[in-house]
Amino acid sequence: MIKFKNVTKTYGEVVALKDVSFEVKDGEFVFLMGPSGAGKTTVLKLILGEIRPDSGEVLFGTTNVAKIAEKDLPKLRQKIGCVFQDFKLLNERTVAENVEIALAVLEVSESKWPERIEKVLKVVGLSTRKDFFPAQLSGGELQRASLARALVVNPDLILADEPTGNLDWDTADEMMNLLEKVNKEGKTVIMATHNKEIVAKMKKRVIKLAGGKIIKT
Amino acid sequence: MNFHLKTAVNSIKRFPFQALAAIFVLIITFFVGSILSVLIYSSANILKYFETRPQVIAFLKDGVTTEAISALQHKLSNDTRVKEIRYVSKEEALSIYKNATIDNPLLGELVDPSIFPASLEFSLADLSKAKDVIAEVKGEAVVESVGFTANLGGEKSLGDVVERLKKATFYIRLGGGIFAGLLVGTSFLVLVVTLSMRIAVRRDEAAILNLIGAKKSFIRNPIILESIIYVLTGVVVGWLLTLISVLYLAPAVINYFGEIQVLPREPLKLFLLLGFILGIEIVGGIILALAGSNLALSRSRRSR
Repeated sequence: MIKFKNVTKTYGEVVALKDVSFEVKDGEFVFLMGPSGAGKTTVLKLILGEIRPDSGEVLFGTTNVAKIAEKDLPKLRQKIGCVFQDFKLLNERTVAENVEIALAVLEVSESKWPERIEKVLKVVGLSTRKDFFPAQLSGGELQRASLARALVVNPDLILADEPTGNLDWDTADEMMNLLEKVNKEGKTVIMATHNKEIVAKMKKRVIKLAGGKIIKT
Repeated sequence: MNFHLKTAVNSIKRFPFQALAAIFVLIITFFVGSILSVLIYSSANILKYFETRPQVIAFLKDGVTTEAISALQHKLSNDTRVKEIRYVSKEEALSIYKNATIDNPLLGELVDPSIFPASLEFSLADLSKAKDVIAEVKGEAVVESVGFTANLGGEKSLGDVVERLKKATFYIRLGGGIFAGLLVGTSFLVLVVTLSMRIAVRRDEAAILNLIGAKKSFIRNPIILESIIYVLTGVVVGWLLTLISVLYLAPAVINYFGEIQVLPREPLKLFLLLGFILGIEIVGGIILALAGSNLALSRSRRSR
């Protein structure tokens, strides 16, 4: 599903990734692990097409994201569900509205929204919070709302950038259980984290990064 | 409700005072624009009335034969510069005089029909030809003198009257155009500033939408719709204020100007005129909204 071939990315003098190659297969759950500045977020941004590599190829299926046209980026991103450390929810919209915006982006018929929103909020356990605004939710609930928005579009791939970074252990554990459940339903999950306890508990494949290089795949 | 429309309406509800500022300026602009359009219509009609209705009176010599009068009348009726020729006999002239002095019957009783000359009255198709026609008519053997209707102030002032009307109409159009242009410019800037503030507030939202795969149009559409909502509210309210003002003032204005048709007398025609103005303003308003929102969006892209 995802293939990095000799990818190098620099920010001025700083080398974020150097000649990185790895592959993630369909339905896999992969942790990107490493300390801050190791290049984890850069990998996720490259998959999303937020940034372009200096050299190498980033393949999403058969599409080379490194060379994708600007106008084709939305279509690529619609296949990816993103969960961020800072949640990136729209503060002026309720939980249900935050989820429905993903459906609107995908141009799903409005008549199908209520059913899909209800279903996904049930999966993440936020059915009773659907009319709450982000300011009224706890950290764990915010992250679950973010996951609901990612899942509602039925993406091929879930990218999670430190999704447990702002959560306590119990809430982080709940979040991981949800991601595992999603993965078991057939979605590919790539999660960036530096939380060794979570990685150890989940027993999934780990790609270790340090100083922009892969030290373990 | 359409998703983008809902987003636009929510955005307006979230910052009502910015929206009200923009809408008020637009209401004033389109109200003044509508009133100016009505004024331009009326002034054009006044000018047209005076351009086409100045009556030249050729006073005939005493004792002129009916054949000679008929010959002159026939000659003038064949002249393309002349229209609506009418023969006024001495008796009719007296009758006109009596009507004019109806408030003071004594003046009417003291005069004899013989002191009023018979005349040929006619109007001109184009006032610029007046001097030539008058000179030619003056040269006719049966004509004693040539004059103009009293309300135009006599022969020498005829050109002045029309010139003054033309100037007044020109200045109404020019002044009105400049004023309306300034208002449109102000509205445009207020619209751009308001929308730019909206875009700045929604910058994070746009970044998130971008990450979840929103197309550019998905991010732009609510801003464009919001702009159209402002403008259409301005157009409709401004036009309604004009409609109320015109309906309120029309009877007095029509009465004051008498036979000069400054406004259509039939309600249907009046509504057609105002409907035409509304149509033009809606089209102009949408152009203004699209230009304003596109400028605000392109400014936000440049400042990123």
